[in-house]
Amino acid sequence: MVGKAEPVNGSVKSGSNQSIPATMQSPLKKSDLIPNLSLKTLKLKTKQQELLIRVSILCLVYVLAFITRLFSVLRYESMIHEFDPYFNYRTTLFLTEKGFYEFWNWFDSESWYPLGRIIGGTLYPGLMVTAAIIYWLLRFLRFAIHIREVCVLTAPFFASNTTLVAYFFGKEVWDSGAGLVAAALIAICPGYISRSVAGSYDNEGVAIFALLLTFYLFVKAVNTGSLAWALASAFAYFYMVSAWGGYVFIINLIPLYVLVLLITGRYSMRLYVAYNSMYVLGMLLAMQIRFVGFQHVQSGEHMAAMGVFFLLQVFFFLDWVKHLLSDTKLFQAFLRITVTTAIGVGAIALGVGMASGYISPWTGRFYSLLDPTYAKDHIPIIASVSEHQPTAWSSFMFDFHILLFLFPAGLYFCFKRLSDATIFIVMYGLTSMYFAGVMVRLILVATPAVCLISAIAVSATIKNLTLVARAKSKVTQTGSVRGSSSSKGSSKASLDQSQPFQRNGAIALLLGAFYLLSKYATHCTWVTSEAYSSPSIVLAARGAHGNRVIFDDYREAYFWLRKNTPPDAKVMSWWDYGYQITAMGNRTVIVDNNTWNNTHIATVGRAMSSYEDEAYEIMRSLDVDYVLVVFGGVTGYSSDDINKFLWMVRIGGGVFPVIKEPDYLVNGEYRVDKGAAPKMLNCLMYKLSYYRFGELTTEYGKPPGYDRARGVEIGNKDIKLEYLEEAFTTSNWIVRIYKVKPPNNRWERTMFHIYLGTVLRYHFQAMFHS
Amino acid sequence: MARSTSKDAQALLHSFRSAYAATPTNLKIIDLYVGFAVFTALIQIAYIAIVGSFPFNAFLSGLLSCIGTAVLAVCLRIQVNRENKEFKDLPPERAFADFVLCNLVLHLVIMNFLG
Amino acid sequence: MPKLALFLILIHFLPFLCTSFSPENPSSRRVLVLLDDLALKSSHSVYFKSLQSRGFELDFKLADDPKIGLQRYGQYLYDGLILFCPTTERFGGSIDLAAILDFVDSGHDLIIAADNNASDLIREIATECGVDFDEDPAAMVIDHTSYAVSETEGDHTLIASDDFIKSNVLLGSEKIEAPVLFQGIGHSLSPANSLVLKVLSASPSAYSANPKSKLSSPPSLTGSAISLVSILQARNNARILISGSLVMFSNRFFRSGVQKAGTPTKHEKSGNEQFLTELSKWVFHERGHLKAVNIQHHKDGEADEPSMYRINDDLVYSVEIYEWSGRSWEPYVADDVQVQFYMMSPYVLKNLSTDKKGRYFTAFKVPDVYGVFQFKVEYQRLGYTSLSLSKQIPVRPYRHNEYERFIPAAYPYYGAAFSMMAGFFIFTAVHLYNK
Repeated sequence: MVGKAEPVNGSVKSGSNQSIPATMQSPLKKSDLIPNLSLKTLKLKTKQQELLIRVSILCLVYVLAFITRLFSVLRYESMIHEFDPYFNYRTTLFLTEKGFYEFWNWFDSESWYPLGRIIGGTLYPGLMVTAAIIYWLLRFLRFAIHIREVCVLTAPFFASNTTLVAYFFGKEVWDSGAGLVAAALIAICPGYISRSVAGSYDNEGVAIFALLLTFYLFVKAVNTGSLAWALASAFAYFYMVSAWGGYVFIINLIPLYVLVLLITGRYSMRLYVAYNSMYVLGMLLAMQIRFVGFQHVQSGEHMAAMGVFFLLQVFFFLDWVKHLLSDTKLFQAFLRITVTTAIGVGAIALGVGMASGYISPWTGRFYSLLDPTYAKDHIPIIASVSEHQPTAWSSFMFDFHILLFLFPAGLYFCFKRLSDATIFIVMYGLTSMYFAGVMVRLILVATPAVCLISAIAVSATIKNLTLVARAKSKVTQTGSVRGSSSSKGSSKASLDQSQPFQRNGAIALLLGAFYLLSKYATHCTWVTSEAYSSPSIVLAARGAHGNRVIFDDYREAYFWLRKNTPPDAKVMSWWDYGYQITAMGNRTVIVDNNTWNNTHIATVGRAMSSYEDEAYEIMRSLDVDYVLVVFGGVTGYSSDDINKFLWMVRIGGGVFPVIKEPDYLVNGEYRVDKGAAPKMLNCLMYKLSYYRFGELTTEYGKPPGYDRARGVEIGNKDIKLEYLEEAFTTSNWIVRIYKVKPPNNRWERTMFHIYLGTVLRYHFQAMFHS
Repeated sequence: MARSTSKDAQALLHSFRSAYAATPTNLKIIDLYVGFAVFTALIQIAYIAIVGSFPFNAFLSGLLSCIGTAVLAVCLRIQVNRENKEFKDLPPERAFADFVLCNLVLHLVIMNFLG
Repeated sequence: MPKLALFLILIHFLPFLCTSFSPENPSSRRVLVLLDDLALKSSHSVYFKSLQSRGFELDFKLADDPKIGLQRYGQYLYDGLILFCPTTERFGGSIDLAAILDFVDSGHDLIIAADNNASDLIREIATECGVDFDEDPAAMVIDHTSYAVSETEGDHTLIASDDFIKSNVLLGSEKIEAPVLFQGIGHSLSPANSLVLKVLSASPSAYSANPKSKLSSPPSLTGSAISLVSILQARNNARILISGSLVMFSNRFFRSGVQKAGTPTKHEKSGNEQFLTELSKWVFHERGHLKAVNIQHHKDGEADEPSMYRINDDLVYSVEIYEWSGRSWEPYVADDVQVQFYMMSPYVLKNLSTDKKGRYFTAFKVPDVYGVFQFKVEYQRLGYTSLSLSKQIPVRPYRHNEYERFIPAAYPYYGAAFSMMAGFFIFTAVHLYNK
């Protein structure tokens, strides 16, 4: 079925349709009808024509996947986006400059002052090593490209590679037609584009490639039972482990899949060979990454794989014994004994392991996927990241468009033709859709599954429709756009030979489907252009006359830091900006995006939420020289520190109970105007954001001190700073840098005095607040 | 109940032994190899139970080399065994080549992990 | 001829450059003295002569002289300032409160003498230095049990005090036998400031009140809380002397005898001259001035300073501390200089041993914690300059190849792995040849 269907699909995709039943017609008639077509003039055989078409489609899809991710490079410049990619860029730079062994042992004393961070042992090196290898390869070929360009374009390059893998995967699961459609769909799907545009130099860019590659190779290994494919999938798994922490998904999905196969009675030797060699070799390889370490044998998240491993041994052993023994009754007894002992031993081992704490329970990051309410109560840092919020329907529609309703159709087709491979793709699709519903960020992991399953629906439907359309006549013209084919997902056309309208209906449906897919392509391109190509370090807005206004304040501030502060200056800011400050400003920071030490972050949060003199003590203890805040009141930029402030309070209050969130709210409402809480009006963050802002008129017709991001006039306009002085404010007031003043020369405050001041202030506040 | 199970066990062992004698020699060699690997693994587990897990990576590499060897040998046995219908058209040379390749990778990684 | 004149004029300026204040030669040289009344020049001549005999150049000016200034074109003209002008409301020229505070904050020394009827300006300068004079402008320190006995029945505002601070650095090694005569206003130390010290305190029976009127309410300043003479050593080691009496510096008080009420001894000469002269030596950095140079640290066995240490390294730290003797730098000898290896809290705290020639050193092992540490020396002794040295150095963990190579406890595992490899070779041979 698989092999024979190929030519039909191939022909539909091409835009010409004459290749297939070429033997049915005379060559002359064909060339008369379509004079421009040169395929026949090349005198290629059918198989070769089909191969040529397939290869050319894949090439076009490859190029398309790369090009569509280049919007921000064309609009702004070739730069790294967001926050995390700056850290990756800095480490890649270090790797190319100092070599692999220095990188592997790198201890960075410039972040998380004064604790430092062992970067070599706490990152996933796959992305950096990949970019470095590409860079060295290009240099070897005498292309003198800067490492930054390589970093910026790594993600689109790997997106193109992912389309190739999607093609092979589709071919493995269904047929090559489905593979081509899958490649085309995944090339432009917004769910994947969001994390792999040019400039988004982040782990997911290569990780999705590695994920799909691992799954493809594993399915291939299960289908063929070959050790070589299993070894390849172990290597792909190793690449995935080195690239992203989401490898936990693979190491849980594959055992789950094996379990499902065992339960549905599809145990086979091929499965045994594939899973066991992949597990053992993959686990060994994965443990070479320092960051992963011994987690494969010690962490609760990896225990499913080990459990299934032992289960498979039991299955195999039982199978072998059954094969050896001819007496079934004896075998039943034997079976009973073995199974009970195996289960008993396994359960005891697991219980002992978990109870003694040797096997660590699921970490917060992954536990919050199973229990979405866990993070909000227990780990505010995880809850505060906007990417970790549950997904809304609009996000699904935005990122998947028509694939959303092609997905159930594809599931139907998979169930109609169950095989080991289709069971896998169904499981992958269902589990990844569940997780995509829990956390917005994980739509990315679901995208390949959704594209593949939708491709199955598209391909199968088109095959049926074209079979109907070509049933009696020869020429069936279907126009199609490069790279997309047509189908009508919801219609499950069935062949009914007796009706003459069948063919017209099929053609109409095909045209409708073509329209739908072209809408998909338009939507994807529009989404890429409008929503996912913003570098977020450079902001753009429309001016009053419709002209485009660019705010480059972040880089202005970091460059100022780099040039105007002493090299060992320490900068305190909220953790969002840590990576950027270290990478572009080249200064030591107190906390950064790695967020590995919650107490340190809570200390910074406490400093930001305290009054100026308490904050001064905290800053002196951390040796802080400069404080950086982001303020959007002048431009209306809404991701500034005042909007993030409540998270600072929550995180600070989670470790230091002296910071209480209700102190900053008025009747549960968060305000910055005259009616705001007195602690809010006098805390360090408020003072630093609104210093001198009371004199500024931001909008025509509004009073001075009108905050455009919150839409109110601020409450405390006359701000005086005692322990800090303003060092730099960018041209649009987005980034503000303050210098911490050294202690007064002639005074040394006694500790009693500080304590007394604090106590008195809290007493006064309590008196007036209640 | 106990008597019937012991009688069952004896009968089990007897038929087991007789069936096993019928397997071809090359498979028996592979079985011997697997047994050797498992035996070494058991020795290591006993050792760690006595001494404690200080160089844990060394323990893991030793243990996993044994388990990996066993697993790969069993896979070879499956593929070479002429009775398995699924692998009828897999040439034994190809199976062996895959086996050697996987073992090479296994031992290389073990050497890296050992120290 | 004109060339010679030019040359002579230029030569004339050379001594000014050589004798100005410099870190190598900390004793101040040029001191501006602001007076209310030029008659003070002669009435306080003994004190001024003691300063001049030690090499100071005193520049006497009236406080409201419009031509006075502390700095010109960004350069300070003087190294020290003496304010003997308690009643001045406004200074002339470019001197004001902020200029004086900047003068001190840039490392120069200051002597202030107040008196009854001290102006607000002088009071404000004193408050900025951590000292609060009594708010009542007519108040003076009155002591009915420790006053100085005199022929006339006075109002006991002339008091004799011998409650000195115990410090050889401040007051010299010679004990001051006679009490010090004092007549003026008292002050208290600001409780929020821990840098200011009482040098001469009043006795427990003293109080500060207006001697001419009856007391209507209990006085605010009483007892030993009243300080008569205080000092402040700022963080940048500028030294300030604040005295509540201008007349205690006068020749009259220097030369007069003193007998404290209630004691039989009559001293021929009051202790004023010795007390104030010794104190001025301290204020102008002739005593108790330390410098720390040449901070070095290196790994044990090497000579260069590394950019990063590793945990469990052995290192050696050394620093050289010298004391200014008035003319030259002498090695400073003490046994209580400590160094901390500090990261948010001291992990290592050790006393430095000295070779008596000014070099202090110690050796210790880097703790088992990685991070960014500092070598901190915080040396604060009464009367000495405070040394606050800090040098940052990162400490890294082990590299992957700095662990033990072959661990004896792991030999069985090595054996197992190698036996597996051997088994593999043998097995392939057997398998291939067994057809």
